[in-house]
Formats: sequence, structure tokens, C-alpha cells
Amino acid sequence: MRERLSPPAGSRIDRSRPVAFEFEGRAFTGYAGDTIASALAANGAWCLSRSFKLHRPRGSFGFAGDEAGALVQLESEPNVQADTRAVEPGLRVQAQNTVGGLERDQAALLGRFERFLPVGFYYKAFYKPRGVWNWWEKIIRRTAGLGRVDRSWTPEYFDKAYAHCDVAVIGGGAAGLAAAAACGDQGLDVLLIEREPELGGWLTYGRRKSADRTLDDLRRRVQALTSVRVMTSATCTGWYADNWLAVSQGNRLHKVRARAVIACTGGTSQPAVFRNNDLPGIVSAAAAQRLIRHYGVRPGLRAVVLTTGDEGYAAALDLAEHGTDVAAVVDCRPDPPAGPMASQAEARGHRILSGHTVREARRDSQRLQIGGVLVTRVTGPGACAADGEELDCDLLVVAAGVAPAGGLLAQAGAKFRPSGRGAVPRLESLPAHAYAAGVAAGASTVEEALAQGEQAGLAAAADLSGSAAAAPAIAARPAAAEPTVSWPVFPHPDGHEFVDLDEDVTVREIEDALAEGYEDIELLKRYSTVGMGPSQGRLSAIATAAVTAAAQDSTAAAVGATTNRPPSVPTRFGLFAGRGFQPVRHTPMQGWHVDAGAQMMTAGLWMRPAYYGPPEKRADAIADEVLAVRRAVGLIDVSTLGGFEIRGPDALEFLERAYTPSFRRLRVGRTRYALLTDEQGVVVDDGVAARQGPDHYYVTASTSGAEQLYPLLLWYQAQWQLDVDIADVTSAYGAINIAGPQARRVLEKLGIDIGLSPEACPYLAARTGKLAGVDVRLLRIGFVGELGYEIHPPASQSLGLWQALIDAGRDYGIRPFGVEAQRVLRLEKGHVIVTQDTDGLTHPHEVDLGWALGRRKPFFVGKRSIEILREKGLSRRLVGYAVPDRRAAVPDEGHLVVRDGEITGRVTSSAWSPVLDQAIGLAYVAPDQAEVGSVITIKAARGRLVEAEVVRLPFYDPENLRQAI
Amino acid sequence: MKIMPCPLNGPRNIQEFTCGGEVVAPPDPDRADAAAWADYLFLHHNAAGIVREWWYHVPTSFWFIADRNTVTDEIVRTFLPRELFGADARPDHP
Amino acid sequence: MVSPRSPIQNALQAAGAVFGEHSGVTAVTDFGAPIGEAAAARRLGLADLSPLPRVGFRGPGARDWLTAQGVELPDEPNQARTQTDGAIAITRSWTEVLVLGRIQEADSLCARLAAGAADAHCARAYSLPRFDGMFWFALTGASAADCLAKLCGVDMREPAFPVGSVAQTSLARLNAVIVHVDVGEAPLFHLLGDSASADYAWTSLLDAMQEFGGRPVGLRVLHALAREFK
Repeated sequence: MRERLSPPAGSRIDRSRPVAFEFEGRAFTGYAGDTIASALAANGAWCLSRSFKLHRPRGSFGFAGDEAGALVQLESEPNVQADTRAVEPGLRVQAQNTVGGLERDQAALLGRFERFLPVGFYYKAFYKPRGVWNWWEKIIRRTAGLGRVDRSWTPEYFDKAYAHCDVAVIGGGAAGLAAAAACGDQGLDVLLIEREPELGGWLTYGRRKSADRTLDDLRRRVQALTSVRVMTSATCTGWYADNWLAVSQGNRLHKVRARAVIACTGGTSQPAVFRNNDLPGIVSAAAAQRLIRHYGVRPGLRAVVLTTGDEGYAAALDLAEHGTDVAAVVDCRPDPPAGPMASQAEARGHRILSGHTVREARRDSQRLQIGGVLVTRVTGPGACAADGEELDCDLLVVAAGVAPAGGLLAQAGAKFRPSGRGAVPRLESLPAHAYAAGVAAGASTVEEALAQGEQAGLAAAADLSGSAAAAPAIAARPAAAEPTVSWPVFPHPDGHEFVDLDEDVTVREIEDALAEGYEDIELLKRYSTVGMGPSQGRLSAIATAAVTAAAQDSTAAAVGATTNRPPSVPTRFGLFAGRGFQPVRHTPMQGWHVDAGAQMMTAGLWMRPAYYGPPEKRADAIADEVLAVRRAVGLIDVSTLGGFEIRGPDALEFLERAYTPSFRRLRVGRTRYALLTDEQGVVVDDGVAARQGPDHYYVTASTSGAEQLYPLLLWYQAQWQLDVDIADVTSAYGAINIAGPQARRVLEKLGIDIGLSPEACPYLAARTGKLAGVDVRLLRIGFVGELGYEIHPPASQSLGLWQALIDAGRDYGIRPFGVEAQRVLRLEKGHVIVTQDTDGLTHPHEVDLGWALGRRKPFFVGKRSIEILREKGLSRRLVGYAVPDRRAAVPDEGHLVVRDGEITGRVTSSAWSPVLDQAIGLAYVAPDQAEVGSVITIKAARGRLVEAEVVRLPFYDPENLRQAI
Repeated sequence: MKIMPCPLNGPRNIQEFTCGGEVVAPPDPDRADAAAWADYLFLHHNAAGIVREWWYHVPTSFWFIADRNTVTDEIVRTFLPRELFGADARPDHP
Repeated sequence: MVSPRSPIQNALQAAGAVFGEHSGVTAVTDFGAPIGEAAAARRLGLADLSPLPRVGFRGPGARDWLTAQGVELPDEPNQARTQTDGAIAITRSWTEVLVLGRIQEADSLCARLAAGAADAHCARAYSLPRFDGMFWFALTGASAADCLAKLCGVDMREPAFPVGSVAQTSLARLNAVIVHVDVGEAPLFHLLGDSASADYAWTSLLDAMQEFGGRPVGLRVLHALAREFK
């Protein structure tokens, strides 16, 4: 390890805790508090990766977590930002995007084929001749992309949490601290969100007077306020509608709702554009200062500083004071105004070359980093002399200005625009309840940032207190800080002046794309891929606008900017995928089913037993369950059926309008089939309505339909405004269907105070009473075509009753049966399951439910549409079919009915009937195929054609004698 | 996430709601011809500007009506259905 | 005799719940370590109150009928008022009220109201079977609001959600009623939702409670909290 600078340099590192780690298989040592990149820089290693397209050596320019060049691979995590991720003991870090290592990247040869990778090569190269893509794809998949996914990784816990505050302050630099303090002083609940591990921003690394107490004072002021909550190492990645912020911190995504937001997001140091401006060892002034003050790293032995303003001189002074030899300060401005730092630098005898620029950088002959620069005279906007002075250096510090970090503000609806002929966007307007301060709002000094922060805080407080006179949110930027030269973009005849380092986009590529007609900034972005890398244009948008404006003889303001979208910084998938919520509904008998060996299946949100027994005995289990119901007695948990109480003077009127049949003649104690169609006449659900009292109906709904049906019924009521109450009591009642010839005996054995004789309780009766001491609603209905009762006990007593029925039925051969057996049983009876045998177009006449329409009713939902559809004539009908050939393939649901090579319908339900000992089913067929006795052809699995005969429904017990006994 | 001012529950995340589409007065089903009826069922206005929509607060099973600007996504006003469908506003079929 | 069961009976048994007689019903006394539970209830505890009585009424006559039965109702929707006997009346809308039986002693109010359901029906106050239809949990302790912030988008902290507030919202994507009541120092939230989703809600809550050191607690601790407050 090289010697570090002595304190106070290195505020973030703990020199007593060395940290050993590996990079590219070599051992390195850093200190606790180092980032991966700072620890490597301390050892003179600048190169972190190879570039995406041309495999050029790259490092970090800004040391602020923005760029693709600093993405590295950890053992089980790809694309880690090396310049912000803390180094940990034993960490094994690999460079990304190399074939065979960083030093000898074989894919670097790709750089030699650069002329074959022109702008838009994604769209041009791989399509002709036909089929060539298949060849290219393999190569591209191998070389493209960044990190590698470790498929043997250990899962981590990610989750989400909501947070609320009066004011969220994004960014804890000078402006953010001042804003938070100002709001906190007013007693507001403030959330201060800082992406670095400590508060302070520029104040923690910028050049200040040694006696300056600003940072300590601000921190102390904020810490003293209990109403200010501080989140550090927390990144705001999105600013959505109504001040809803996404903030990622560790493995948690915070969803923050703020009444007002103050953006103090600071700025991004911009690169200069010249030949080989991508070499490792070329860093921003802020990066050099971070390395010195945060990590105690001397960034180089001999540096050149390229600047367009006073901040380059500050960096030069910092470097010189920390042991770096500053070869020259190269100032692009012809007549630099005498800034305070420039004056100091001049006084200390620094060599200053004004009106000059770096024309190109040269690679070190030994190492993957900068070795020197060619400095020449600026001859005009974007032009410099070919010949000049060669300067050796191992560090080039670039101070090409700072762009406001306005991405989040732009997402919220703030407008940025460069003024006049400038290239730097300036904040023009803010949406309601949004404020900005500091560099993001155009401040160029700490004093300005503090004043703006204070002002924004007071403005937000006034806004939230409802006082009309909210202070002006946008501070006027002093004219003196306007850039005085064109943006430092110097195209070179030999190229390699990168506008976008993430995506390897050069000046020429932008110009070519423009020449090809991609003049709109959004199209230019997509075609050239400029701004599409991890930095999302933060380091390239201004240069792109400058190049475009120059090529079009226009202004950056006219060129415009691309749309900002969240997430504004790369975000781990875990944060999005982490702990979601997926409610599950259990019937009261859930535990019993599982204990009894049921295979559970999902039905909407519910869990239901499919059948009881091991999966390898599925078919036998289902057949046994079917036969138990037909020959003895079976029990099925139908608690998942929807249940609605319709009560009030207009209860009948409501049913008459909402459902298709008429209930006017339904007496208390009776049930009726209740079919529901929508306004288009499409069958949407069915159930049974039981009249419990003069103005009280209990209506069931299908398992799948209940959840949508309740809002629908309430929507009708919202329009009809009838004197009726509709209550969803689905979960309040369990439901047990006991069916089979022995059903009555089981109930009687258990003890019931309801007379069950066919006279006292005939088919379709509805009764209430006590069964085994439990208050139940008893409906004598069934779906399976045997003597059956649907028992609706209170949910809390359902399991007890179920167990009692099982015990009482043991002597009668009772068996629980599941959904699969029920499907077979109901199919044998020819009953339609809405949504299985119907689709989004099915109207009642197509499925022979015309009898369920109250034709004489003046109105029901769907009536008019059904009439129109009926007049048009049927285009298909649902029929029952049986396959006479018992050795033929059993068709599956969804198999097509074909005739002369044309599709005339499809199978909706299919089963092997154990009772009939043949394959049966329901299918849509053409109307002229619907006659009983017609032979239809079904295209079964593997294209085998199966002949089936249309038969009369129901298949089983056609006279319906068994359910009426 | 957008905030919906619910007349029953106050301002809530839009995630708690579902939109029930535009409030459209059905034509008289007995008098409308098939074309007018199909127009009502299938053709939606999709206007740019302030539209009147049904909204449903799922946790309370509560329907209400919102006037919303489809250009700015601003919710101008929310109110109870009773205001439009009062006792006198029952459809004209007994 | 078939007695009522909590919708999370299996989960409670699996967690080692000790059952006993409380306020006239059989419910969880503790989870085997009563001493630790008292501290947990102050930090973060979750209790199943599902065996305790509750009943709902809705309809144009609901307010009048309940008032005639001596129930004191809050004026606006989404508010809770504690009755003199300790029961809680919650307005879920302009026409719907949920009554939670008192937890300190055996309920009398809910039973009386439920017995009058037929009478209420005539007055257009329709009873709603909330005992069977809704689970009832109580979340107590200093971290309760922070824990709910992991499951629910409504701010449950003071002063945004003061005592007596009711939020009907989404809790871990489940429709739920959340009621903030006063039991002295530590906040207590009653949580009610679809009884069929009780297992899911219980599991989701315990998972969210983990980072705060929260745990399930029994009624003994809850009674102690309530007595202290008296």
C-alpha cells in the first residue's frame, strides 16, 4: 500500500482498520471507509473495467457513482459501482467486460474493428443477409452486457416500507442542510435524504478556509432538531405524482409521501471532450478533491489541470498542497477573469496557460492509464491548433463546469433550459409543492446555496401552512457565473473524443447520426445510444447538446433535452422484487384438508382441495370420490362460494334488475337459480337465490366470480339508489355440500331440528335451523345430481360441523371429495361452469340458459343486448357430446371441433365418466351441428381426430330423479 | 403515486382504488335502436379534458364519482353518486 | 357441541399458545412465557382477539337504532368511540357501524345488539356477521406504527393518526379496518379484516414485526395493559 496523506485528509477512512481484498486476483489493502475505487486509486490502480463497445480501458471520472466505467463484478453481485461501494475484508472484485482479464483483454481487438461498428450499428449490421442474426446473436450475447449473474447466490431479504413527512429534502449538502433546518425550525416533520454516508456534500471535500465552521454549524443545527429525520446512504431514485418518492437504502425500498419536496440534489462535474478523454487517470476536480479529503489519497505525482472556470485553480491549489506536482493549469478561456482561486494560484507561481486546451491525451507506455497530454492553443469555438506542447503527467484533472443534477426535478415536472447561447440547463419553473435550492437551482457558491436552502425551506413551510405569500422558489442566478466560453468540445481528425463514456459514443458518431436525419434529440439518443448508459446523460447531455447545436448552427436551448424517467440511478432488482404481498384465503377447513392428504389448488385467492390422495394416484382418487357420491355419500367444502345478503324493502326490485330470472313468485323458504349477465348480455356469473324472509334474500355466487360480483352489484345500486342493503358475507359462512343417496341419513344421525322428508324439505327448499347444535342455513340444492344439501354454518363453527359430519357419515361410507371429482359429477349432469364453459362473448341462448331469462320482466341488466343478439341468430351452441369409441383419445379442454378443415368450435369441459364408462364433454359447435345425434370431429392431442356424438343433456339421470328423492 | 381524494376516506394512494370508467347515461333500452344501443355499449368518448368517472375504493367497497382532467390528470372534484342518481334519478323502468 | 374457533387456531397452536377463559370466551392466555410477553407488548406485540364478540349494522336506520340501544356513536365516518362499558363503536361510513366488545371483561353489549337483529332489520338496520366474517387482532407497543408502515400506506403515527382514528385501507394488500385506541403509554391498534385471510394476515404481521423484536402475546398481557391504564 502506498503512503496515504496525513489527517485531516482522509476524513472517511479509519487508518487503524486495514482491509485486505482482491482485484483481478491481485491482493490489495485499503482502509475501513474506503470505496473499492478509492482503495485501488490509493495503490495507483485507476483502470477498473473495459468499455462496453470498444473494450477500451476505463476508470471512474467523477468518483461519485455515476458511470459505467466504474462498474465491477463481485462474486455474487454484478454491476457494482466501485466508486461508491465500501470495500470489505475478503471482497473479491473482478473487472467487467473483459475476455481474459483487464490487462490483456482479448476483446480489445474489437477496437480495431471500430470502423465496422458505425453509429446505429445495432440497427444496421446484423440484419442482412437474412439469417445472419442467428450467427451474430451468439457473439453479441457473449460479449455484450455487463456483469455476470451468479446462479448459486444466497438469497437476501429485500423489502419495502412506507414513510411520511411534511417536507422531504433530497440531498444533504449545504443547501439541503439549510433547507431542512429552516423547515425543522418551523416544527415541520422533515425527512432529509442523503445518498452519501455522511451529510455535507461539497462541504466535506471542497476547498474551504481552514477556520470555516459552516459544516459543523449546519450539522449541529440539524441534529438538534428532533423533527428532522436523517437518512444517509439513501438514494432517491424516482419522484412520482403527488410528491411520492422512491428511496433505496440498503435492502429496503422506502416509498415516501411528502407534502412538499425540496430538491437539493447538487450537480454533476462534467467531462471535457477531446481525443482519448476516456483514459483512466482523467478525473474531475471534485473527484481529485474527494480522493484527497475523504480518502487521504494523493491522486497523482504530476498533474495537469484543464479548466473553464475558477474551480480548476482550487483543485490545483489542493493538489499542490497535498504533494502533487502541478505541471500546468490549462484554462480554455482566452482572458480568464481574476477569480479568487486563480489569483491565489497565480500568486503561488503555478504555470497558467490561458486560451489553451488539452487537444489529446496520451496513454502511459506501461500502464492502462494516462501518461501525458498535448496542450495547444484554442483557435475558435470547438477548435484548437494541431501543434502545441507535450506535457507528461499521471493525472489530468478536468474542471469543465458542473451541471445541475435536475433529473429528479424533471421527473416531477420542473422545466430546465439553457439560456441564450449557453449549454448548461437552468431551472426555469417548478411544479406545485416542489422547491429547489443549491447547485441544482443554479447556485455557484456555498453562500448562495445556503441562502437558497433557507429560502426554499421557508417557502415550503409557508406553502404547507397555507399562507398565500410563498416566497419565490427559483433564485435568480448571478450573471457573473454564466459560462464565458463554448463548452469544451474539441473534435479531433483521428476521433476517440468521447461524448458518452458509458456507451462509447464519439463526436463523429453524433454528427453522423444527425447527418442521417436523426435530428430530434430523443431519436438521436435511441439511434446513437448517447445517454442510454448507467449515467443516463448526466455526463453527456450537455456535450451532446453542444455538438448537436454546433452541427445544426443552433443553440442548446433549441436542441432541447431528453425525457427523464425513473429510476434515475441503477437500482438493484431486489429492491423492486423484494417482499410483495399476495393474500391467500383459507376456508375454515383448510387445515383439515391438508391433514387428510388433499392436493390443494388455487381458485382465485382461495385454496381448495383438488382431490384427496397422493399425486401418483390422482385418477383413482378422483374416480373413487365420484363413485362415493353416486353410490353412498360425499362431502365437499364449498365455503369459497360467494354469499350476499340482499335486504330491505327494495330487495326484490334489486334482484329483478340485477339478475336475469324473475323472483316475484319465489316464496320464503325456496331457492331459484340466479343467472347474471352484463350490459352486453354476456353471462358473467350464476348462483342460487334463497328467500330467507319477505325482504331478505341470500344469494350465492361462484368461487371465481364473487370477488368481481360484489363491486358490480354495488355499482348497480349506486345508480339505482334503491332502498336495499347488499352485504358480502362470503367469509362469514362456511359452506358444506353433502351429496349422495345417504346424505339425508347422515344429517338425521347427526341431529337436526329441520324436517328432512321430501315433503317437509323438497328439492330447492331453503331452511334455517340447528344441525349438531349449530345454527345453519340449509339449501336443498346440488350441483352433482344426487340427493344433496348445501349447509351454510357460521365460519367459526364450520370445521367442527365438518368433522361431526365426517364422524356421523362413517357408517354410511362418507368420503370427502375435491374440485376435480365435482367437475366430473357436474359434467355428468351437464351443468355449465361460468368462465369454464362460457367466455367473454357467451350469451344465455348459446348455452341453453334461455329458460333462466325473465322475459316478461320490464328490465334486467343485459336484456336489451340479449334480444338484439337473439334476433341476429346464433353463431354457435354449447352441446354435450360422448365419444362412442372407448379406446379413442380423451379430448382435452380447448381442443378444436373441426369440419372440412374449418374450425367450428372447441371443447370447454371434458372428462372420463366413471359411471358411464366413457369420455364425455361439453363443446361449442356450429348451430347446424347441435342436433342430438350429430357426429362431430374433435382434433385431439397430436392431431388425432376423435369422432363424438352430440347427446341429450344431462348425460346422467336424464329425468333428474336422483336429486329429488 | 397519485393521491385520490375519497369522499368517504379522505386522501388515499390511488392504489386503493379502481376506476369504473366514464359515467354514461344509458339510452332507454326499450326505445333505443340497435345502433344507438351498440354505441352506448361499445363506443367510449375518451375525451381530452374534464371527464366524469366512476371510482371504487376497494377497502370500503365504496363507489363515488370523480371529475378528472384527462390532459393534466388533475382530479377536480369527487362526490357521492347520490348527487347524480338521487331518488328522482331512478331509471325509467319500474 | 361445536364451539367457535379462531380463524388462526392452527397457527396459534403451532406457536405454543396456552388457552384459557378470558372475558367469557376461550382465548389465548399467553404463549408459554408470560414474563417476556409484558415487555414485548410494550415494544411490539400481536394478540388474537378473534374469539371476542363484535357485530356490525348497516342501513339507513342503523345510526338511529343503535343510538336507541344506548350506543354512543361518533359523528363522522372513520372514527371510534369507546363506550362507558369499554366496548368500541366504529363508524365505517355514514350508515355503517362496527361494535367491538370490551376486552377487559365479559361482553354484554354485542350480545344484546345481536339479539335485537330482527328488530333492527325492521328499522332498516341490517346486522352484519362480523364475528365470523372478520378476524380481530391487536397490535401493541412503541414500534407499532413503524411496523404498520411496512404493510400499509396510511401514516399511523401521532399526530397524523391520533387516538380515536379509524383507517379503512389496504394492509399487506388486504382490506382492513385499523383503529387507534388509548391504553396509556404504548399505542394499541385494533386490526380487523377478512376472516378467510386471517392466516395470511397473521403471518405477514409477524414477519414485519421481526426487525423490531415483536412477538405474539396473549390476553393476560393485554388485560394488564388495560388495567394499568384504568
